[in-house]
Amino acid sequence: MKNKNAYTWAGLSLLIAGGIISLPAYFIFHLIWLTALGICMLILSFILVALGKTIPKLPPEVCSLLLETGIDNIATLIEELGIKSKAIYLPSSLANKYPRAFIPLHSNGSRPEITKALPQRLIARYGSSPEDIGLLISTIGSTATSMLESKPGATPDELESALTSLLTGKLGIADSTRVICNNNHIQVEIHRPRLENGASWSHQCLGSPLATVVASVAAEAWDKPMTISQEVQVNGKYSVELEVAK
Amino acid sequence: MTLYNRYIITVALFLLLTTVILIAVGQNALDIYLSIYIIEALLITELFVYFNNKARRGLAYVSTILFGGFIITLCLQIVRILA
Repeated sequence: MKNKNAYTWAGLSLLIAGGIISLPAYFIFHLIWLTALGICMLILSFILVALGKTIPKLPPEVCSLLLETGIDNIATLIEELGIKSKAIYLPSSLANKYPRAFIPLHSNGSRPEITKALPQRLIARYGSSPEDIGLLISTIGSTATSMLESKPGATPDELESALTSLLTGKLGIADSTRVICNNNHIQVEIHRPRLENGASWSHQCLGSPLATVVASVAAEAWDKPMTISQEVQVNGKYSVELEVAK
Repeated sequence: MTLYNRYIITVALFLLLTTVILIAVGQNALDIYLSIYIIEALLITELFVYFNNKARRGLAYVSTILFGGFIITLCLQIVRILA
């Protein structure tokens, strides 16, 4: 009884109320409309109980705690190293097993070209020059991408479907998404996001948690490195612009 | 509003609206109410395609129960017509 959530409690309440209303209404009072209302309650109760069983047993507060701790650790690392360059989101084909974010330690204005899979290490080398090193880190997007049932396709519709399925269906952190592709730019609009976006140094480097999810999924869909070029939040709509590496 | 809440509110609204309309037109056959409720619930469930696997599996059980109820109602009607 400890792990029952609001959906299960509401479902059980409706089940009892539905039974109490429909049975006397049909057999004693012979009121069809009241019996029908009782049946409505029973149908809703089945749905609520079924959905209640799918809610994770871990309380949202604990999930939030784990998320904040993870973000805080990455933020500390990035701030300590004084990294200012923007993260490059790599697909699984370039980052071993699952998509990750690569942050070059030295930036001379141009974006590093990563053509082969990087080793699965925190500090990874991508070129022959001594300065061609960077941090290869997992973000929320890296883990979130593994929740997708299959690798998303590269068309805007397929990417939109994958993002909606992930952000709305699986994570429940947004109402819907919209994807607009324009040459090497992908614009993703997230409607009514429910994840807070900070404004720390690490966010300027990695992007907000929502943007990291979008960038990781897009990198995996296009099978190309991506960077977050812009993030804007206006009137309950969060807009993320990605730039595809050539 | 989360997807779960949106789905539950949609189902509840449709069922309630159907009840009001059927009462307004003076419908007095319980099997008609039941059939419409079940069809509506199954259709709305199918329209919400972005549910996660666990939720989809849970709702599939509910859909099976509802479909079973619909078949029983249908069979009872056929028996009544034939008798």
